[in-house]
Amino acid sequence: MLKVKNLSKRFDKVQAVDGVSFEVMPGEIAVLLGPNGAGKSTTIKSIAGLLRFEGQILINNIGNKEVEAKRAFGYIPESPAFYENLNVWEHLEFIARAYSLKDWQDTANQLLARFDMDDKKEKLGKELSKGMQQKLSICCALLINPRMIMFDEPMMGLDPKAIKELKSIFMELKKSGCAVLISTHIIDSIDEVWDKVLIMNKGRIVLIRTRNELNKKGESLERIFFKATDSKREGKK
Amino acid sequence: MRALLFLIRKNLKNIIKSAFKKPLVLIGYIVALLFIIGMIFAAFAMPSGLVRTSSPELFKGIMMLVFTFLYYTSLKLGVEKGSSFFRMADVNMVFTSPLRPNKILVYGIIKQLGGTLLLVVLALFQIPNLKNNFAFEPHGVPVLLLSVVAYTLAYPLISMVIYSWTSASKERKKLMKRIIDMAAIIVALIFLLDLSQTRNFTQSLSNVFGSPVAHYFPIIGWTGSIASSAVSDFNTSFYVGATGMLIVIAGLSLLLYKMKLDYYEDVLAATEYAEAVIKAKREGRNMTFNLRTRKNIRNGFSGVGAKALFAKNMLEIRKSSMFLLFDRMSVSVILSAIMFKLVMPSETTDLSMLMILAFSSYMLLLIQSQGRWAVEVEKPFIFLIPASPYEKLFYASLSDHVKNLFDGIVLFTLSGILFGADVPTILMSALSYTCFGAVFMYSDVLARRLFGRVHSKGLMIFVKIILSIVLIVPGIIAAVIAGIATESEFLIIGALGAWAFVLAITLFIFSGGIFNNVEAAS
Repeated sequence: MLKVKNLSKRFDKVQAVDGVSFEVMPGEIAVLLGPNGAGKSTTIKSIAGLLRFEGQILINNIGNKEVEAKRAFGYIPESPAFYENLNVWEHLEFIARAYSLKDWQDTANQLLARFDMDDKKEKLGKELSKGMQQKLSICCALLINPRMIMFDEPMMGLDPKAIKELKSIFMELKKSGCAVLISTHIIDSIDEVWDKVLIMNKGRIVLIRTRNELNKKGESLERIFFKATDSKREGKK
Repeated sequence: MRALLFLIRKNLKNIIKSAFKKPLVLIGYIVALLFIIGMIFAAFAMPSGLVRTSSPELFKGIMMLVFTFLYYTSLKLGVEKGSSFFRMADVNMVFTSPLRPNKILVYGIIKQLGGTLLLVVLALFQIPNLKNNFAFEPHGVPVLLLSVVAYTLAYPLISMVIYSWTSASKERKKLMKRIIDMAAIIVALIFLLDLSQTRNFTQSLSNVFGSPVAHYFPIIGWTGSIASSAVSDFNTSFYVGATGMLIVIAGLSLLLYKMKLDYYEDVLAATEYAEAVIKAKREGRNMTFNLRTRKNIRNGFSGVGAKALFAKNMLEIRKSSMFLLFDRMSVSVILSAIMFKLVMPSETTDLSMLMILAFSSYMLLLIQSQGRWAVEVEKPFIFLIPASPYEKLFYASLSDHVKNLFDGIVLFTLSGILFGADVPTILMSALSYTCFGAVFMYSDVLARRLFGRVHSKGLMIFVKIILSIVLIVPGIIAAVIAGIATESEFLIIGALGAWAFVLAITLFIFSGGIFNNVEAAS
């Protein structure tokens, strides 16, 4: 599970994230929504352990920068970047070594097959198209069998079949008890899968709703997003 | 650590394997390797100080000046952007993995060691020239290379420490920039003061940069002292320098290894910048020379079809220049060429303009960015423009010729005034310089047509240098004949320039098809 308590991050004079708190429970799919500059990327980079921050981030009740927390955590960045001279299989082998995985080959083969990458094992990082890079990025994160996984714009560059496959992977992760956090701009793409929505604006979480709460009120995700982030409306308040 | 060593091992193995898949690239690597072996052989085996023996103090002065300049520019960039051993693949895959940050730092340093190879090879290119002018000791070449390695290991560590201190606030960043700039101004003032007394450039260079104070100055002086030992016995300043640098490198590594475990944020911005620099280089741009863009430059586009490319490129050049077409590239070429002439012995006075032309063309070959055609190749527009491929290549490269002509006129007018050359020689030198620029650029285009998009920037530099040098040989022969027959500097430069002109046209004809379609360029 993921616990973010009072997360703040300042870049010189800009307060990018201001006192953000939320939780993603095991078997829950949370969606992080927000307009450009809302602080989503900073939040994600902080959770991934790439930034210094104030507050507390716990993965499976361990500080996110600890080695044991990282072992349980999978991350799919917005812009995948791979080693130009390593092929697809070697990237997976590196992940297996870095996370001390055993008997990982079958899982790796299955993941590659699901994303139609099984015939691309020998392709070098520099030869991969944008879509293939995204698929490999997802395979690398799933290979470690994470207990908490974070997707940053996961649908970017994927073909329709891969999008369908990814959505069923979201549901499988949920069933297996993995905590899933997805950050995206495309609300439609996650409409079928989410359990909890976290809407960010100007560095703060302005709304947290569960699917049940939303269903009871008969509102749509898109509508509450615009309601929560409309700056003109905020001004009128 | 095993996982990280796996990364390094596989990377190396695959680079070699992929070279075997492209025969032309493999030939390129083999030629480059033979060339390097030749350079190493020449550097170690050729006799030293045969042509002339300039004073060891001058050599020490030059070394100190070079390292002062290198540290100044790299530290300034370090304050601004930090310095990174890493790529984005490392950020995404290694930083987020359960590997300890200190082990990851060691991995970064090992990678950086590989990166120093290119600089060591570039240093090798200078050694025969230095050996011609100075009497090297038997240990001269290894200690010179040792100083280059010490510099390339020390500056990223210093940059990282400075960056992590300055990244906390803008005030600290400003303060550090001021300290670095003030130090540079003080050094320049001391030099100018000495120059006003001696009125002798080489003497002042020896006095200021060759002085004991300079040699024992931490880091810069220590690195310079190691290099200076190439022309003297191992003395105290060498031992102090070598020990000092060892302590600095080991100490800073230990500091970062033991204490500063949370450096990812500091490295992140620097890595993003480094990634942008690599992308810019592949597109033929040079980010370090184009840090600022002037937004207030406005002028309408003139010309239609392929001519619009020329207008667009001129607008871009003006936006990235300091004044008219004058940019950092102009400053580098002009200053280094004039300084080269100033430190040259007086016996070459008769052929001042030729010496400057040779050196400035050599500098152009080494530091010229690929030219604007390389930017166009990466974008779809040029392939869509309804014009012939030759027209497109001509207009896409014309702005570079105009820029080189501008730099050439400034450089040779200044040199002409300083060293007393006549107007026709000045004009001929500027034109020849422009023609050499065209040769280097079109040999680049031809290399791209032959080899395709080669990811190794180092290999492309080699191909360009080797191709250019081989092709220029007949021009040099013509110039020697002209020199023997007429003893006229104007005609010697004219013979060189005429050959460069013919060569540029020939290369242009062979490389013109690059804009036929995207496939021809990739």
